[in-house]
Amino acid sequence: MGFIQDVLTSFVAIIPVTLAQSLILAFVVLGIMIPFRMLNFPDLTSEGAFPLGGCVCGIMLAAGMAPLTGILVAFVAGFAAGCCTAFIHLRFRIHTLLAGILMMTMLYSINLRIMGKSNLSVFGSPTVFDWVPFARPGFPASKIVVAGAIALLVFLALYMFFRTEKGTAVRAVGANPDMAEAQGINVWAATIGGVGLASAFSASSGALMVQSQGFADVNMGLGILINGLAALMIGEAVVGKQTVWRQLLAPFAGAIIYYQLVSFCLAAGMPPPDLKLATGLFVLAMLALPSLKRSRGPAPAREAIRE
Amino acid sequence: MLEIRSARKVFYRGQPDEKVALDGLDLSLATGEFGIVIGSNGAGKSSMLNAISGALVLDSGKILINGSDVTNMPVHKRAARLARVFQDPMRGTAASMTVAENMLLADLRSQKRTLRQGLNATRLASYKERLSILGLGLENRLDTRVDLLSGGQRQSLSLIMAVGGSPDLLLLDEHTAALDPRTAEIVMRATVRAVDALKLTTLMVTHNMQHAVDYGSRVIMLDAGRVLLEVTGEEKARVTVLDLIGHFSVKTDRMLLAS
Repeated sequence: MGFIQDVLTSFVAIIPVTLAQSLILAFVVLGIMIPFRMLNFPDLTSEGAFPLGGCVCGIMLAAGMAPLTGILVAFVAGFAAGCCTAFIHLRFRIHTLLAGILMMTMLYSINLRIMGKSNLSVFGSPTVFDWVPFARPGFPASKIVVAGAIALLVFLALYMFFRTEKGTAVRAVGANPDMAEAQGINVWAATIGGVGLASAFSASSGALMVQSQGFADVNMGLGILINGLAALMIGEAVVGKQTVWRQLLAPFAGAIIYYQLVSFCLAAGMPPPDLKLATGLFVLAMLALPSLKRSRGPAPAREAIRE
Repeated sequence: MLEIRSARKVFYRGQPDEKVALDGLDLSLATGEFGIVIGSNGAGKSSMLNAISGALVLDSGKILINGSDVTNMPVHKRAARLARVFQDPMRGTAASMTVAENMLLADLRSQKRTLRQGLNATRLASYKERLSILGLGLENRLDTRVDLLSGGQRQSLSLIMAVGGSPDLLLLDEHTAALDPRTAEIVMRATVRAVDALKLTTLMVTHNMQHAVDYGSRVIMLDAGRVLLEVTGEEKARVTVLDLIGHFSVKTDRMLLAS
């Protein structure tokens, strides 16, 4: 009985910290979902775009720039990185996954170049989290408020966008690129813009994370992709993906649930080194589930993914 | 209206399996004309349609639509002038989107897409009306995802999407070949009705010789990448299935069976 109580106490104690963290990382999950689900373009750029945003924001803060400027510049840098991945795929007909791997590998060097060293402390610099009135700086409440407000804004803006004429066209590119082209939609523009936007969100998440934790590190993206994918799978399992509303809600809900789950496992005594294995197995299980369910029926049609 | 001038396309050039798909093809179609394209497999029918739509880049030659040269125009730019229905019902529609969203995409084919809301009440009402012409009940399933429709329903939807907005040129690529006879008849009748009503300039590829005899104002027979035979006017009115089959250099059972 004592063990369970200990676990619960330590879990509950860090719920706010985890919530703040998950709201910041929800943007990476969004950056994984948009190419994967909306554009049918499985993209790995976020693993490099997240630290890219962190490094860019880090040196901006170190140079004494405003925290919001840091996030905006990180957004633009991430956008450029995503555009490159999409361009590599479209122009040279390189598989989307390979294009993403190339990009994230090259970004590692670029991130090091940007910072000039592997680690940069920006502790004490002003952050966007300081803007919340009545909250002690550095306290999770202010992070929850700021990250939550941005998340809500981004969610609503994206929801509105995907209902417009342009947004419907972008979704068509993911659903059937040949058909989209035959309906007069510029597949290149939609793909480059969409993947760029997704990486921009990943980079913004990195920038927010740097402001939240007080330092930037070139290795901060390690494993972020698989965490994000796991969060997305949970989100889709919980809120579904049948409509644009649900599909857009899934990354945010998934991030919140996933990181609480991780924090619970750690509180329950799971050794942190096992975390990646557990996450990987979880993603595998979620991806395998549909094919296991159908295993007795006829062979399912392979999910069409752009190559 | 449509003019193809000495179009040439060679696949696998310089390799043992080199294939001349289009061999100096010349073809012109007047405004309002309904041309039926026939020919054996490998005659260049699909290559010709792909060249017109922009999916295939020609080695040499020119393609003009309404007098303007579109030879170097990408597919999405040409889409403002032409609409196409593919043989495979899956290719012409976006499976994971709803019937109404697919209609919207086709609706915006020749327009600039804005940041205004896509599906509004006016549009939904007009889609309902346009789909009801088919008599397949699609007008009551506007919010249904297209992958839940049958092949025939999807192809009918593709057709309504293609003829909407009166394209300058309508390309039909064996669009009833993958359907069962009854559905094929429904789609074919809807096609003819739309083409007549909107006076669309149409190019239809078919392996069904009966369709070639029954419909259209001109039969164009392709062979080895060029026009082998054209039947128009009086002669078109009198032509029979056996006449047409007689011209095939390679006779296949498929033509007889299809007729």
